[in-house]
Amino acid sequence: MTDAPDDTKGAPAPAASQEERRRDSDDGPRLRRAEDELRARFGEELREGEEAQERVGVSREAIVELQHVSLSFDRPILENVSLVARRGETVVIAGESGTGKSTILKLILRLLQPDSGRVLIDGEVINDVTYEEALVIRQKMGMVFQGAALFDSMSVFENVAFPLREHTQLSDEEIEARVREKLEFVDLEPDRVMEQLPAQLSGGMKKRVGIARGMAANPAIMLYDEPTSGLDPLTTGTITRLIIKLQRELKVTSVVVTHDIRSAFRMATRIALLAERKIVFSGSPEEMTASQDRYVQDFLGGV
Amino acid sequence: MRVLAVQQYFGLAAKAIRFIFARPFYIGDVIQQMDEIGVQSLGIVLLTGFFTGMVLALQTSVQMAQFGATMYIGRLVTASMIRELGPVLAAILVAGRVGSGIAAQIGSMRVTEQIDALNTLGVDPIKKLVTPRLVAALVMMPVLTILSDTVGIGGGNVIASVYVGIPTTLYWRTVWEQVASSGFVLHYIPTDFVQGLIKPFVFGGIIAITGCFFGINTKGGTEGVGHATTRTVVVASVLILVVDYFLTQVLLFLFG
Repeated sequence: MTDAPDDTKGAPAPAASQEERRRDSDDGPRLRRAEDELRARFGEELREGEEAQERVGVSREAIVELQHVSLSFDRPILENVSLVARRGETVVIAGESGTGKSTILKLILRLLQPDSGRVLIDGEVINDVTYEEALVIRQKMGMVFQGAALFDSMSVFENVAFPLREHTQLSDEEIEARVREKLEFVDLEPDRVMEQLPAQLSGGMKKRVGIARGMAANPAIMLYDEPTSGLDPLTTGTITRLIIKLQRELKVTSVVVTHDIRSAFRMATRIALLAERKIVFSGSPEEMTASQDRYVQDFLGGV
Repeated sequence: MRVLAVQQYFGLAAKAIRFIFARPFYIGDVIQQMDEIGVQSLGIVLLTGFFTGMVLALQTSVQMAQFGATMYIGRLVTASMIRELGPVLAAILVAGRVGSGIAAQIGSMRVTEQIDALNTLGVDPIKKLVTPRLVAALVMMPVLTILSDTVGIGGGNVIASVYVGIPTTLYWRTVWEQVASSGFVLHYIPTDFVQGLIKPFVFGGIIAITGCFFGINTKGGTEGVGHATTRTVVVASVLILVVDYFLTQVLLFLFG
């Protein structure tokens, strides 16, 4: 019942070897120029990101943690990956397609189990919990799927109400109030969309309903799989703002998987760059633009 | 790999059966599935049942005429419909109509990550998707079979009176003679009925579990959904025919 991870077809050449990188770092002036250039290009996004970070006051307490996680199916997918998301933080996992980014989300949700290493949610190791226990742990998390994954036989209302009906004792009135609240939060008009079926919605609306469903039960952690892929630039901006709003107003911890570095810079308190099964860089957007690593430079240059 | 699949198949069946008795019950889903599996299959099952009864009467009338025993048409049609053809034909039709639908629906839920979504929302997809379909199939298959048997015997009546000239009252008396001839279970329930209703119950389970099994294990996008539906129809139909034989042996041993 497990999904195979994204395939790696067409993934370009990976990070330069250590040796090469060291040689590059002597190349001071060229890199400084590159840094200035990046700063000029992403200035606005960076400022916005900094503001976001200041406002939320990220705590030190780790709520999602991967410790030296390795995973392989037919071939290795992840090797010795460590990652921490502290309470209130937005961690973006960036990287090219097919580097196992979405696999990390599946590990956090314990849809997959690592071959080695540990995955901790809220301080609890979830590696060896039973399937039933995992179902309970997952209620702490809200997941937004790449294709929204709305239940297509149910109306928008039923979709958003689903986690509430399953796991809470709320009355019908309370559920309706909560669904309306969540739909309004994601800038949808409840009266217009509630009775519609997912097939009648546009891509951007589906994503927003997906976010509303993910946050319906007020989870402490929100996970996003490519929230902006396949959307037009305008809708991409809307969804990005929505993720930022969620973090600021509701103080949820977010883990976002994306290759859209522009929106990553806008929402991230920290970015982890995944390449060739490993995390090659981890730090604030600031540190990322300042990084002397050639792969990081290439990745940002490719935008 | 094949062995693993068989193990997974029975694992799925065991889990789905266990969930029948565990809260929450998803009554709404069960009723919706009963409608899809039972009510919407009714037309096709009745139509084929009627024609099967007619052709049985036609064929037996030719054979029986050689022995001058055409008055026993009712008995033969009844025995064949209730014991074999009613359950098996209804099941194979439902496997084609409903089994494929289950596989397609659950398969497309798999490829659009809706199954993962259920999992991440803390709901076991087997409980939410498989168990309601299983319950609906277990309940509706016997109902469909009873109706199919009835119209089949009715079809036999039409042919017997129109072509062979057997009065309707005589036909129905022979029908009852057949039903009573193999004895009663618990004094009141004809043994033929017991046999004729255990089969569709089992077949219903086979159809639901097979459809769900291939649906959940769908791989490779929309093309995979196509494979899942085809496989469901083939595997379910073959299983129905094979299991029917062994089940018949067991039932004949138990009830004679």
